[in-house]
Amino acid sequence: MATLVILAVLVVLALWGVSVYNRMIQLENRYENAWSQIDVQLKRRADLVPNLVETVQGYASHERELFEEVARSRSALMNANGVNESAEAANMMSAALGRLFAVAEAYPELKANQNFAMLQEELSSIENKIAYARQFYNDAVLQFNNAIETVPGNFFAGPMGKKEAVFLEIPEENKAVPEVSFGQASQPSA
Amino acid sequence: MTTEANIQRLPDVFTDPASGQRINLLDYKAANMRMSWLMALLTMALLAGLAYLIAQVTDVASTGFFVGSALAIGGAQGAVGFWFSDKIALAASGAHKANSAEHRYLVNVTEAVAIGAGVPMPDIYVIDSPAPNAFATGRNPEHSSIAVTKGMLAILDRQELEGVIAHEMAHVRNYDIRFMSMLVATVGAILVLRDLVMRWLYWGGMGSGSGRRRSSDRGGDGARGQGVMALLLIVLLVLAPLLASLLRLAVSRRREYLADAAGAYITRNPEGLARALEKIKSYRGPQLEVSEGVRHMFFVNPLHGQNNVDMFATHPPIEERIKRLRRM
Repeated sequence: MATLVILAVLVVLALWGVSVYNRMIQLENRYENAWSQIDVQLKRRADLVPNLVETVQGYASHERELFEEVARSRSALMNANGVNESAEAANMMSAALGRLFAVAEAYPELKANQNFAMLQEELSSIENKIAYARQFYNDAVLQFNNAIETVPGNFFAGPMGKKEAVFLEIPEENKAVPEVSFGQASQPSA
Repeated sequence: MTTEANIQRLPDVFTDPASGQRINLLDYKAANMRMSWLMALLTMALLAGLAYLIAQVTDVASTGFFVGSALAIGGAQGAVGFWFSDKIALAASGAHKANSAEHRYLVNVTEAVAIGAGVPMPDIYVIDSPAPNAFATGRNPEHSSIAVTKGMLAILDRQELEGVIAHEMAHVRNYDIRFMSMLVATVGAILVLRDLVMRWLYWGGMGSGSGRRRSSDRGGDGARGQGVMALLLIVLLVLAPLLASLLRLAVSRRREYLADAAGAYITRNPEGLARALEKIKSYRGPQLEVSEGVRHMFFVNPLHGQNNVDMFATHPPIEERIKRLRRM
């Protein structure tokens, strides 16, 4: 009788252990996936850059320095090795694009161009998604860190070699990126 | 997204004002999933129990048949609810799928919030109504849909629309919809049973039942015991739906507060959602026509012109929702 009870207790403990382990793995995969989600959005932004530069060049060809800055940031992103370099390149691109859109304000014919308007909406929405992706990454990191630091998880974290994940620092310049907001007038009719 | 509100820390814990329970806004689906299963079992037990009682009062020999058919009906209803409630709700509200060309703006906003919430992109639907409203359906995030009225798209700006979509996505992410569907199915099953019994009583079932019982060797005691059973049955069947409805409405209201908080947390911008609620509150045009059964699923009570601030309201009052958001 006693052995049966002990056996039952062991089985329950094992099942509980499995669920704690699984949860930690799920949370880890979640934050790693969140990281690549940021990359996806950054790449989508970079892919729109040639089209944008071409459109703006048609109206503001003498703003050469600006175009070069944007092009440089794009190649920096494509050649980046590792997390720090890509983060730096991404920030460079945000700043360059911000300046480009600010400059475009001075060219009314450019602003009236359909293609430019569409690109502006797309890029603005991608900036938004990048911000959300970074935010979600930090949320996922928070949940993972909580799981490996609080009581049931921390017993497993050591033997499994799970280490605390690092939060993404959102640099101050990014928060200043001008958000291009249209209001109701120029939204596609719903 | 880039507002001052992002920079200060929003609390990621929601304190339920009624019970004082603290809920983690990032992930409260565990409780919902447990409760969904519990609700399903409870429904089955209730149906079986009531069917048993009915059998005792009418025809003891067919107890098996009564209980079996109650479970079968309940099971079928539950299965249909689980797998098809989203299609039913969408059809009932006349929603049509949003195409990304025509509704680029809505699709972009929803994509952004889905990334922030960490859920797969839901199907997006648009409802042809000037009344601003929205709802979400779906048994899990992989099979979810969000529907928005044209009225809502017309009056809200980007931050406000993000807030509303985030509220709906919070419902989806945390399995509120599955939980509420189960709850509604439970109440529905009880109501069906109540109707059956009422009908049977109306047709004088009592008389024939007691006749059969007495003939099976019970005598005077049998008749009295059976009368008590019948009384119990009637009391249960009158009280139960009432209690169940009250419970459903209380749960529904609490879920709305929770989704407001979770949605505000996803966008890190409670003011956006608060402003959206204000705009909706001051809307004075034609209302949305929806049936009673789906009314609780909407973002605001479709009949919010009539101020239902009591136990029988599916949604908490809009002013209160705005106040709580601004206090975050």
